[in-house]
Amino acid sequence: MISIKDISKEFDGVKALDNVTLSVAKGETFGLIGPNGAGKTTLIRILTGQIAPTHGDILMGGETVYPMDSRYRLRVGLVPQEPAFYGRLDAHENLLLLSRLYGVDAKEAAERIDSLLAMAGLTEHASRQARFYSRGMQQRLSLAMGLVHEPELIYMDEPTSGLDPEARSALWELIIRLAAEGRSIFITTHNMQEADRICNRLAILAEGSLREEGTPAEIKGLLGTDRVELQLLDDRTTELDVLCRRLGLTWKMEGDTVIVTGLELPDKLPEIASGLAGSVRNLHYREVTLEDAFLRFMREAER
Amino acid sequence: MRGWKALVAKDWKLIFRNRLLLAILVIYPFLIMGVIGAAFYDVGRPVPIGLVNLDRAGPGEQAWSGAVVPSPRGLERRFRRRAVQVEEYGSGEEAEAALAADRVSALLATGDPGETELWMGADLSRDEIAATILDVQTETEVWREYSTAQEALASFAQGEVNVVFAIREGDYPYIGETIWLEDENYDAASLVLRFGQDVTEIEEYTSESEARDDLKRGRIDAVIVLPRAFVHQLKTLDEIARVQVIIDQSNLVKAEFAETSIRGFLSRVQEGVVENKTQAVVAGLYVLVTGGDFFGTEVVGLEQIRENLESLKQSLQDRPDLQEMVDVGIDLANTVISDIEDAAAYLRGTALPIDLEISSVAGRPLSAKDAVVPSLIALSILWTGVLSGAILMVIEDEEGMRIRLGLTEMGSFALVGSKLILATAVVFVQSAVMLLLAVAVFGVFASNAAAALLVIAAASFSCIGIGLVIAAFARQVAGAVILSVLVSFPLIFMTGAVFPLSQMPAFMQWIARAIPLTYAIEALSGVMLRGESLADVAWQLGVLIAFGVVLLTLGSLLVRRRTD
Repeated sequence: MISIKDISKEFDGVKALDNVTLSVAKGETFGLIGPNGAGKTTLIRILTGQIAPTHGDILMGGETVYPMDSRYRLRVGLVPQEPAFYGRLDAHENLLLLSRLYGVDAKEAAERIDSLLAMAGLTEHASRQARFYSRGMQQRLSLAMGLVHEPELIYMDEPTSGLDPEARSALWELIIRLAAEGRSIFITTHNMQEADRICNRLAILAEGSLREEGTPAEIKGLLGTDRVELQLLDDRTTELDVLCRRLGLTWKMEGDTVIVTGLELPDKLPEIASGLAGSVRNLHYREVTLEDAFLRFMREAER
Repeated sequence: MRGWKALVAKDWKLIFRNRLLLAILVIYPFLIMGVIGAAFYDVGRPVPIGLVNLDRAGPGEQAWSGAVVPSPRGLERRFRRRAVQVEEYGSGEEAEAALAADRVSALLATGDPGETELWMGADLSRDEIAATILDVQTETEVWREYSTAQEALASFAQGEVNVVFAIREGDYPYIGETIWLEDENYDAASLVLRFGQDVTEIEEYTSESEARDDLKRGRIDAVIVLPRAFVHQLKTLDEIARVQVIIDQSNLVKAEFAETSIRGFLSRVQEGVVENKTQAVVAGLYVLVTGGDFFGTEVVGLEQIRENLESLKQSLQDRPDLQEMVDVGIDLANTVISDIEDAAAYLRGTALPIDLEISSVAGRPLSAKDAVVPSLIALSILWTGVLSGAILMVIEDEEGMRIRLGLTEMGSFALVGSKLILATAVVFVQSAVMLLLAVAVFGVFASNAAAALLVIAAASFSCIGIGLVIAAFARQVAGAVILSVLVSFPLIFMTGAVFPLSQMPAFMQWIARAIPLTYAIEALSGVMLRGESLADVAWQLGVLIAFGVVLLTLGSLLVRRRTD
């Protein structure tokens, strides 16, 4: 869908982005994760034509595009970090205004607005001035406004920032639905739960440079896989060895704790427990989260 | 086009639904117009003036005068010589009591600062009193007249004068005389009331101190003190009437108004008096020619003398030598008669050589309210133009919509253009309504209202341009409002809207020339008050449009540049 080649951006001699190269496939939800100040918003600003890169190319369908070119702008949508709409217009007026500015046919616009209001759960509030909406409703309206011209690719800059868990969850559902409709989504976030839940692929951006890229599982794999920690009453090394070989797992000792790792570990837990029956004093299943992976990655990067 | 309409309609909704913005942009200029308009609406009202008329003889009242003379002792000696018997007093109060009790008819006090005051009284005749006053007046350039004994005593005690002279008012020479002017007979007070009635509202006071108190309290704008024998001095050819005018210069505008009004009507009195005197002299000269009453003396006219000489010449036909001598007399009479006629004609023509005939270029006299409306409209263009330009643009930032709009089919040109359309419409409609209200409801003069509308449109571009430049430095509406006020406020004072440009120093005039509002005021005044056509104000219109183009371009560039 879109490829970013060697994008760099300097502000007064300070590099905010350093040769960032990545691509988003059609229908993919791509997450750019990184700490505050990593350069995520700068990249979004470049991709939405707000600022020009110092150098680098943006390709869409294999052709170089310039963000200020209308052929590109009309194919992308934006959901900024802060909800963007006119507070003294109601949701319907906001959507109608944007549909006119995008040149959407009046009849089509009416249908599209109704469907967007329904999707955002704002149909009942469509004639209330948007400044009176809750923060969650405002962000849903902001999302709907980014979709009024039916873009193929939607840029979302930390869209759930500042939302309460319920509102955040509702917005995630919306994003997942959009992805299911086949839209490409480029989302920046520092919420790892969000990235893990809604993204197909992730990239870690730190200090303006792209450090890692892969699926959430692959990123988590950087830390290691999930593991089972066992404390046994007696020495069952032989049984443990046989059991692990049969289940395709590996084990090692860390002090007096047996660490078992391998694929599909949660499914194999009952067999491990029954295979070592009578000797297990403690059994803990430890899942590796994206946050664990990210934090570890950041610590290693700092070192 | 649909997008442009949508943007303009959206901005109008944003203004209309924001009460504060609606009030600031649309309603406030009308309030300002109302307030300033009301202040100037009745500027033609008469100036309140206090009159202290000392040229009147009240029964039992005293006339106190003071002077600074080089030799008070000499004056004292002459006073003693005139008096049969002189009383001396220990204080002014004691002397005043003696005059009040009619024990004496005149008081004299002398004493330079640091010296002992000497108070004396005597029973002088009216002629002796007149001679004493003349003594003092010929020696001094500082002659003051007081309406009460207390004022005189205080002035003497403070060393303002070194001589004080007091008599009964009825004894003051030539007091309370009347003068015949413009077919009516006037005493001092009625003269001032009559000639000042168009521009002043006269309130009479019995004492100067009372009038001064009211001046300090702001009840009147000035005090006129007419001296004793004021009318007599007007009538005589050899004395100058010294009228004292007291103004409150803590308010320069008020003082200027009062002084101008007083000078205006007193000059009319003066012109009347001079004309009377000239006519009297001319008449006297003709009496010398024709014979009759020459200032109280019956004279034989020169014409009669010439006739007599011609008769004499006839009777001396046998004496050619004597006839020649008579001819010399006849020639002299002819020459003198001719010279007198020339002199009379010269006097008539030169006594009042200037007759001001004041007319307005507007073709009719203009009032203060007429004159203030172009400036008011220009100020509302500045206010609404700058604020709407700045606010409408900054709203996009405050709402976070600038980025979103940047992704639509409408570019930044459309964004700025739509603001310009709406802001111009608001400014234009607002100013047009003001103009209409001023003309239709308040009867303000506007010789070319259609041209004024064009000037309003041209001026609004540059003011909106200033607003766009301001928008580049503000992120929120509140900041834009503050910046707009900070920028607009000094401009108001630098453009001739408040003070005339011609009265400013040269460098301020150069600064004013760099401000579009200056040209807006000039052009609006031209087409509204000076009867000028669009062609006459083409230069100002051109400059306004040029300013508009430059400021709008600069504003747009700054707004775009700030995003990066």
